[in-house]
Amino acid sequence: MPVTVTPKKLLLKIAIGFILLLAVMMLCALVGTQKISLARVFAGSGDNIDYTIFIRVRLARAVLAAIVGAALACSGVVFQGLLRNPLADPYILGISSGAGLGAIVAVISGFSWTLWGRSPIAVFAFAGALGTVWLVWLIGRLAGRSNVTGLLLAGVVVNAFFSAMIMFLTSVAKSDQVFSTIFWLMGNMTEEDFLVLWLSGGCVIVGIITLFYISPQLNVISFGEGDARSMGVNTSAVQTVAFAVAAAITAVAVSLSGLVGFVGLVVPHGVRLVFGPDHRQLLPLSAIVGAIFLVAADTLARIVVAPAQLPVGVVTAIVGGPFFLVLLIKHTRKVGWSGK
Amino acid sequence: MSIIEVGHLSFSYLEVEVLRDLSFEVERGCFLAIAGPNGAGKSTLLNLLSGVLKPDSGSIKIDGSEVKSYSTEALAREVAVVRQEFVPVFGFSVIEMVLMARTPYYGPIGFESKADREIVNDALAATDTVEFARRRLGQISGGERQRVFIARALAQDTSILLLDEPTSFLDLRHQVRIYDLLKKMQIEKDKTIVVVTHDINLAAQYCDEALLLGADTDYYKAAPQDVFSQEKIEKVFGVTGFAGRVGREKFFLPLGKFARDYRNKMS
Repeated sequence: MPVTVTPKKLLLKIAIGFILLLAVMMLCALVGTQKISLARVFAGSGDNIDYTIFIRVRLARAVLAAIVGAALACSGVVFQGLLRNPLADPYILGISSGAGLGAIVAVISGFSWTLWGRSPIAVFAFAGALGTVWLVWLIGRLAGRSNVTGLLLAGVVVNAFFSAMIMFLTSVAKSDQVFSTIFWLMGNMTEEDFLVLWLSGGCVIVGIITLFYISPQLNVISFGEGDARSMGVNTSAVQTVAFAVAAAITAVAVSLSGLVGFVGLVVPHGVRLVFGPDHRQLLPLSAIVGAIFLVAADTLARIVVAPAQLPVGVVTAIVGGPFFLVLLIKHTRKVGWSGK
Repeated sequence: MSIIEVGHLSFSYLEVEVLRDLSFEVERGCFLAIAGPNGAGKSTLLNLLSGVLKPDSGSIKIDGSEVKSYSTEALAREVAVVRQEFVPVFGFSVIEMVLMARTPYYGPIGFESKADREIVNDALAATDTVEFARRRLGQISGGERQRVFIARALAQDTSILLLDEPTSFLDLRHQVRIYDLLKKMQIEKDKTIVVVTHDINLAAQYCDEALLLGADTDYYKAAPQDVFSQEKIEKVFGVTGFAGRVGREKFFLPLGKFARDYRNKMS
């Protein structure tokens, strides 16, 4: 039956997607204010400026964008599925405000140490993100009700409270501190060294593989917990794993790049519209599309106002919004949305 | 041997007691209809039988073992549930959803086997849903969708089928089709079928036994012609009406205050 996902077709799509991603990364690494030629890049490392710019600076940054894009897109897929809400995104349960609060605390306290090559902002943002998810999860559990409503309400409340704290802190901070915080909140790519890339890339890939492993169960859970249980899915175990992993990879992404918006909302939507809602396919393809999308967006952010740079979050919103609208109008006509 | 044994079952939501000291058994291959007024605990009973809710006291045994002793996965091999229909958030196709019934049997990479596909195709064929198997759930009619949910329950390959008001939003023809389908599954596949319903007239035509859930411990279980008697229905539901017989089928027609025959009936 051609309408369902088969392992062979999925592998083929993933392979094609991966090749596309690599091609886009190479292309984007060639573009920039400093002209470089591929021939000279391959002449070897040594004392080679082209090589340094291509590998150490631009490709490293493209890899970073790919990691962040993949993580945010997958996390968006999971949150939309678990909350049974197509408007959900990775930040819906307050990860963004928690990370933001962590970042501004780090900026104000003026620490200057590093941990595994990460600045205090990144470390605090990571801790803030995970702490917030844990808090929301706890409150959601206490609130009882149906799991989903409780979590959403807890997310809204925590989000509002932490946002208020952020506003309070920005109003008492010095102006240069405020500026660097706001810049961080908008979402930014920077050149990171390879240790950071390996560590975070490894975390995100392990996370995505774990999520793929439970993706058949995510399909069933999107029909509601009662249905899922009577079909033999241990809902609380799957939900716990999915929430924890999605939150963790989002926290990694946020600590790398700040709050890049829109990727986690738009990419899962777009992939679902084109390829259908089956999470076994939606998850890996969203990862690849998310990566491609953010690599391209970050390249735009680098070159549009060169030699200055835009925050990549601005680009994702400006480009992603209309792009998504076109996709929505084109495909809802053909295939129907939630089916209505 | 009875496949479902309920003994001295009690359940309450917080302070509100819904079921008290309910006991009954269902034979293997039997068609049981559960009726009763709103709030009498019909859906609650279904959720207890399917392990979604836990009883406060008493026991529920499926195939000789307590429901709570089953893992979620093991229970899903014994009991399949069709809930009141709804449209899911995402645009899954009919065949995609029916395939999900096989999720507990998927291999390590999370895909269905050939055998799973055959079971699903059988379920689609049995419920007459093959022709729109590739359509989205939101693009088919309510009656078609209800058959698809039954197909999914069949694809779980269980001996027990629980259904919560499977005909409530359907027109007359589709109501009959659903009951015909259930009866066919009972006869051909030896399924034990438990249906919660408000339509006692239709249920009485098809079921072997009926369970009437009233308030307090007002429970009756017997053959439908005994349970759905005028006296019991009027008492449990708090309505008056005509009871009669056409051919070999009994029926009950409730009479509202403004019905033309209400006065005649009361005097």
